[in-house]
Amino acid sequence: MIPAATHPLAGPPASAQPDSDRGPGRCVLLFMLGSGMLWLVLSAVLALISSIQVHSPQYLSDLEFLTHGRAQALAETAFVYGWIGNCGPALALWILCRLAGEPLRPSRWAGTGAFFWNLGVAIGLAGIAFGGVTAIPMLELPRYVQPLLFASYAAVALAGVTAWTGRRREVMFASHWYAVAALFLFPWLFSVAQVMLLWFPVRGVLQAVVAGWFAQGLWTLWIAPLALAGAYYVVPRVSGKVLPAYDTAALGFWCLLVLGAWTGGRHLIGGPAPAWIATVAIGASVILLFHYIVVFTNLRPGFAGGATSLRFIAFGVAAYVLGGLVDGVTAIRGVAVLTQFTHFDEAQRQFALHGAATMMLFGTLYFALPRIAGRPWASRGLVRGHFALYALGILLLAFCLGTAGWIQGSALNDPKTAFADIAILTRGWLLGATAAQTLLLAADIFLAVNFFTTLACAPQGGDKEGAP
Amino acid sequence: MKSGPLFFLGLAAAFGFSFAGIVIGSNAQLGRQAPFYDDSEGVSFPARLPGSAAAGQLAYRDLGCASCHTQQVRRAGFGSDVDRGWGDRQSVARDYIYQTHVQLGWSRTGPDLTNIAGRKPSAPDAGDLMRLLYGGQGAMPAYSFLFEDRKIVGQVSDDALRLAGRLEPAPGRQIVPTDRARELVDYLLSLNTTYDYPEAQPAPAVHPAPEAHPAPVAHPAPAAGGEAKK
Repeated sequence: MIPAATHPLAGPPASAQPDSDRGPGRCVLLFMLGSGMLWLVLSAVLALISSIQVHSPQYLSDLEFLTHGRAQALAETAFVYGWIGNCGPALALWILCRLAGEPLRPSRWAGTGAFFWNLGVAIGLAGIAFGGVTAIPMLELPRYVQPLLFASYAAVALAGVTAWTGRRREVMFASHWYAVAALFLFPWLFSVAQVMLLWFPVRGVLQAVVAGWFAQGLWTLWIAPLALAGAYYVVPRVSGKVLPAYDTAALGFWCLLVLGAWTGGRHLIGGPAPAWIATVAIGASVILLFHYIVVFTNLRPGFAGGATSLRFIAFGVAAYVLGGLVDGVTAIRGVAVLTQFTHFDEAQRQFALHGAATMMLFGTLYFALPRIAGRPWASRGLVRGHFALYALGILLLAFCLGTAGWIQGSALNDPKTAFADIAILTRGWLLGATAAQTLLLAADIFLAVNFFTTLACAPQGGDKEGAP
Repeated sequence: MKSGPLFFLGLAAAFGFSFAGIVIGSNAQLGRQAPFYDDSEGVSFPARLPGSAAAGQLAYRDLGCASCHTQQVRRAGFGSDVDRGWGDRQSVARDYIYQTHVQLGWSRTGPDLTNIAGRKPSAPDAGDLMRLLYGGQGAMPAYSFLFEDRKIVGQVSDDALRLAGRLEPAPGRQIVPTDRARELVDYLLSLNTTYDYPEAQPAPAVHPAPEAHPAPVAHPAPAAGGEAKK
């Protein structure tokens, strides 16, 4: 039995909720969410281009700034640093402020940080397009913008620190742990990676080891916690139910933090990196299944459905858990030999970033925006369309890329199949992936239109908390 | 979980654990790996990249070649890498010690390039690679912006690509590689890992030893091979 004080529903009473809604904090959050929205649409356009290039290699190939490698890096960077890097921290800050019962401060630091973060992402994308790409997955930004991003992120995260240390009650909730972990750990991870890979690169194959650790760490220590912070905050509030296995939630949290980054080595199976790195990664991937079970058990009330935000979060949680299971299975050597270096890997990556993390962030956003902006979402139709298109898009994308990857993997393992034949075998599925990217782009546009219309239309009194 | 400082220490410890294990651990194992001096040949391996090839590696990186090509050969029996003729042996850590930007890659939409200059029975020559870059082939896009379409003044340039069919330039014109194309091709032609390091020999097929434990110090640096060296 959970004592009343630590009860996940026992947030400060609604009347005492501060409004970060009023005052400068609100502008900072809206700025971050709005710019995240623009990066999201841009990244969907770039992902569409990159996806067309996979089956039709000559598409835009005479534009040097959009070679397939660069288009892919641009799409990934705009998505991870532009979309998740704005929306994730903004929602985490909002949650920390609500839990603390304090307004966002120092809002000037956060605002300046958010501005320079977006400036850094913009310069970085231009840098990638014109030849500055690092070719390190999830760290494609040219090194000259990385210190700027580091400093501006620190300025934004400072607001999270004050909200956390200034909380009126000692209790920490699950959403606290995840939000604080994400805000604190990203700067460490990011600075270590840029020093060891870009400023003073380590020797030889160690670069691949550090890059694998970073890419996995970015997912398990930053992106996933940002998404889970929102899910753990919204699910009990909207469903009105106690988290069913809250006692184990802390164990699940520490399991992710301690073991998560160790699983990155599974991508190095069979390669020139020391074999123990891959072996430990396989073990860690399997033990990490415990974390996914805990998350699933706790967030089960989200599946009861009803509210819009819950539908998104339930989809995200299901995708998160499913993705975790597939990660565990494909880490095993016998399966990795088939899926390694294929579109299947890409399917897993996209499913995690879009299906799991982004869906949870969307759910939190649908819950939070009416409370931040003080007005309900402008169009319910666009919300429904957004969910339908995005869910369909990501399922189709994962299915098509996964199947293409499976075919590609089997063909690669047969030394007599030429690469030209593999391209022909997988072409149909890759066309399907392009169709899926189109759906995702349409869904992102729905969201952006709804978001900006909501902000543009005149505030309506009263219905502030009556959000989807 | 009530204590803020304790929570923060926990976060630091969780982060430090994987950092120490993976990053510091592998660094202790491989960070000072030396080239291998072959007494009979009187040369050390691997060789350093010549200047133009080092410049070509930057072109390889900034064009994003790694998004379709890997540079790692897995051991015989794990995938078809060796059967496809990508190399006679698996890649080992020592192959990469002089590479400033290691490009192991993550996708095989195109073939592996670890050993493209040492392929058997026939490795592509500079002309083949230039034509491939200029025209593309199959799933490989054309990188025609790495070439100049120039008017022939007097004689045809020595460097001009010998093209036929749809790629043939208009009469009186020639296709000449830019410096970047030359550097990129020099780099690709430097990719040759035919030297057999002792650690690259497949382990004798005795009963498999238990998997290595995550205690990096247990492996002295020279024994740091790939998967076969368990």
